[in-house]
Amino acid sequence: MTDFEGLIRSLHGAGVRFILVGGFAGTVYGSSRVTLDLDVVYARDGDNLARLSQALAPLAPYLRGAPRGLPFELDVHTLARGLNFTLTTSMGDLDLLGEVTGGGRFEQLLAHTHRLHVAGTDIDVVTLPQLIRLKRAAGRPRDLEAIAELELLLEAGSGTAS
Amino acid sequence: MKRTVLFSGDMSAPGSIADDRLEPDPVIETYKIHVDRSLIREQLARSIDERIHNMIAALRFAERLREAGERRPSS
Repeated sequence: MTDFEGLIRSLHGAGVRFILVGGFAGTVYGSSRVTLDLDVVYARDGDNLARLSQALAPLAPYLRGAPRGLPFELDVHTLARGLNFTLTTSMGDLDLLGEVTGGGRFEQLLAHTHRLHVAGTDIDVVTLPQLIRLKRAAGRPRDLEAIAELELLLEAGSGTAS
Repeated sequence: MKRTVLFSGDMSAPGSIADDRLEPDPVIETYKIHVDRSLIREQLARSIDERIHNMIAALRFAERLREAGERRPSS
């Protein structure tokens, strides 16, 4: 089972610049749906890739669903050559997104975030309206119920600024 | 219109009010009929930490059920 709070603290503690998105962001805003992995959009500059690599190295990151034994190392070069990584780690499943459908890259998405206190840390979380837009843009039929719940949470006032 | 912040913890820009607007989608509107609104109200009364801990507790429960199913002798 994914240690959501542990993963967040590991990334935050290493100074990784990331934005929380996905189902766990929905949990923050009040979604009652269970999610299995942590989804983050990360900044792609060299310094951040180095921090990300260092933060995850102790967690033995590996490509989720890939056969065991592949020569995979999540170092700066691997991160620079790839974009989106679905990983399994010793703390559970982590999706590293260099770009997200409907939201673009870290710098573009940052304009649609709030700084929230989550898992004992202050992190950037995608706003609820933008989270809904991302899920709409993903176009997955299985997200329809989740989007309906998120929109009702928005209508009820969750995630809105005063 | 004054809006209310319904989550705990500090919130700061760069999120914007213009960010709030969403075009209604008829398919999503249909799905909303089936959402338990009492659960929405309960969730909004909770802090972020409580929401996270509740979700993790549900995940643990599902995990225990899955493990129990795996241990069940086949007939």
